[in-house]
Amino acid sequence: MKRGHVETWDPPPQPPSGSGPSMADNKSKMAADDSNMDELLAVLGYKVRSSEMAEVAQKLEQLEMVLSNDDVGSTVLNDTVHYNPSDLSSWVESMLSELNNPASSDLDQTRICEDSDLRAIPGLSAFPAEGEVVDEEASSKRIRLGPVGSWCDAAGESTRSMVLVDSQETGVRLVHALVACAEAIQQEDHNLADALVKRVGTLAVSQAGAMGKVATYFAQALTRRIYRAYMTTETDFSGGSAVGPSFEEVLQMHFYESCPYLKFAHFTVNQAILEAVTTARRVHVIDLGLNQGMQWPALMQALAVRPGGPPSFRLTGIGPPQTENSDSLQQLGWKLAQFAQAVGVEFEFKGLAAETLSDLEPGMFETRPESETLVVNSVFELHRLLARSGSIEKLLATVKAVKPSIVTVVEQEANHNGIVFLDRFNEALHYYSSLFDSLEDSYSLPSQDRVMSEVYLGRQILNVVAAEGSDRVERHETLSQWKTRMGSAGFAPVPLGSSAFKQASMLLSLFAGGDGYRVEENDGCLMLGWQTRPLITTSAWKLGGAAVEMTR
Amino acid sequence: MVEKSNNKRQRVERVPEFFINDHHDVLVEILRRLDGPSLCAAACVCRLWSAVARNDSIWEELCFRQMSPRPSLSLRSVVSALGGYRCLYFLCIRPVLARLPKLLWSRDQLQLSLSLYCVHYYERLYVGAWIGDAPPSSLMFLRKPVNVV
Repeated sequence: MKRGHVETWDPPPQPPSGSGPSMADNKSKMAADDSNMDELLAVLGYKVRSSEMAEVAQKLEQLEMVLSNDDVGSTVLNDTVHYNPSDLSSWVESMLSELNNPASSDLDQTRICEDSDLRAIPGLSAFPAEGEVVDEEASSKRIRLGPVGSWCDAAGESTRSMVLVDSQETGVRLVHALVACAEAIQQEDHNLADALVKRVGTLAVSQAGAMGKVATYFAQALTRRIYRAYMTTETDFSGGSAVGPSFEEVLQMHFYESCPYLKFAHFTVNQAILEAVTTARRVHVIDLGLNQGMQWPALMQALAVRPGGPPSFRLTGIGPPQTENSDSLQQLGWKLAQFAQAVGVEFEFKGLAAETLSDLEPGMFETRPESETLVVNSVFELHRLLARSGSIEKLLATVKAVKPSIVTVVEQEANHNGIVFLDRFNEALHYYSSLFDSLEDSYSLPSQDRVMSEVYLGRQILNVVAAEGSDRVERHETLSQWKTRMGSAGFAPVPLGSSAFKQASMLLSLFAGGDGYRVEENDGCLMLGWQTRPLITTSAWKLGGAAVEMTR
Repeated sequence: MVEKSNNKRQRVERVPEFFINDHHDVLVEILRRLDGPSLCAAACVCRLWSAVARNDSIWEELCFRQMSPRPSLSLRSVVSALGGYRCLYFLCIRPVLARLPKLLWSRDQLQLSLSLYCVHYYERLYVGAWIGDAPPSSLMFLRKPVNVV
């Protein structure tokens, strides 16, 4: 009955009250020495005789294996009511029998995971494998599946794209432990959380692939969150200013290289801008987050070859405050100017350094509304303003005041701004699992780009999980939330055209693992996702209201 | 595939000898009609042909052959500034065609290739040194092997 690794989990200081213990507790208890089981379970309120221990353990193992392979598992687990806590054996038996009866009719042995057939399950990503249900001997730790190849295909197409790569058991336990730890933090039980996070760390190391990496980052973030409660001084969770903005930019550069998300964002936005300025003679773009300006060479080239000749192009780039010995904004402007000269586009650049975007005033941009067409662009910048109340409204009011012809917004498609920590945690776990999963497929061998991209994402994870208050800047929101916000600020959506969609589709088909990426059009906005999970969204907006005159 | 004229001498008295190597413009016209692999093979024939094959108009023809309508002439100066059609073909268009052999070339696909080419140029000249002497890798995704099932 003993599992492969010895559990070092200590019993909780007091028996948990109210609702029954989580499955994680049960499983870890089962792995302890046989002679101790009775006492440990008694602490939890279960009265199980030592003689029955073997049988109960066997049933729990079966239940776990079935749950990890059966998409009705978690509904059964939630629906089954546990009446008599002293009768653990019959409770498990009831769950097993419930699973037996519907399971045999539900499991379709021939299909390999059609996405539409799986229900979206909060929590586990589960997918039906071929046919094995309950009649396993206790000694078989792994479910006997069909050819491994098909299982790997099935593994790649789960609804919530958490990939259980090598060991199903470790993967499931890893997820359980992560969620249990987050629950413990939610309930302010730091001792339990600490123990669980150490367990996660151990499990994560043995798990290969994307899941292990995601779990490691989440475990680190959870540890930071737990220990923050014991620390008097606030450490820096922003992940950005601690090491200086340039490190963040380097990481984002690697992220740009290794996966298509930023390229998708840039190219679709450029297409939207091109369509909006077709007749303009002077174009002024305000970029709310310039970074390395990788977006603008392609736009300048497209402007250079458009019929009728290129317009004059003016760029106002906003970046973080400069340190004394570097003036990276101006250098960047110079590089872009050289590029513009090479392709034959008249170019003007201005750099604005701002600590936060809400500091911007309309007058700073020096717009020339009578002669130029104004474009405002934001790639992954708006969500940071949600950390302080009133900031986003002020920025949107500023944007509105300069009267742009089009405002392009790219944001992550996730709700990482919920009030309840546990909901945020679960959402983030799914989101970043998808992201890491997509990175995993891009390259067969680890490269510097991929490793740095993972670090880049890891810093976001740290911020989402461990930071609070104004430190927590990675406050992603979904498209529908942004639509409401932009609508209430006075913007109307502009549908992105089919050119953008075609370019995006072609771009994604060029990436290895291209069949995993999906472009979807959602009410005029383009979403890029991995498998079935949308990950980033591009949208375009104009000033709403018929009375607004478009300056061209 | 157009039959290449070669250096076989015709031992007929009255016919003036014609060496293709003396007529580079004719050679260019012939090479313009070749497809990609043939053109690359032609460029390996001898030093002269290799030099002639660097003529960018040959590669321009190769890039745009499947396209209709043909892109405007203003594109030529832009592409030349970015490194020429030959580099464009090798860096962007050939890997794209290798990955998506049935691709229908239209303006959108061309625009995407050009955008990628721009990014590569910009990165190579202006960003490379800053990121720690790493070679520009924005187009690496085109070169990595893909599992084609």
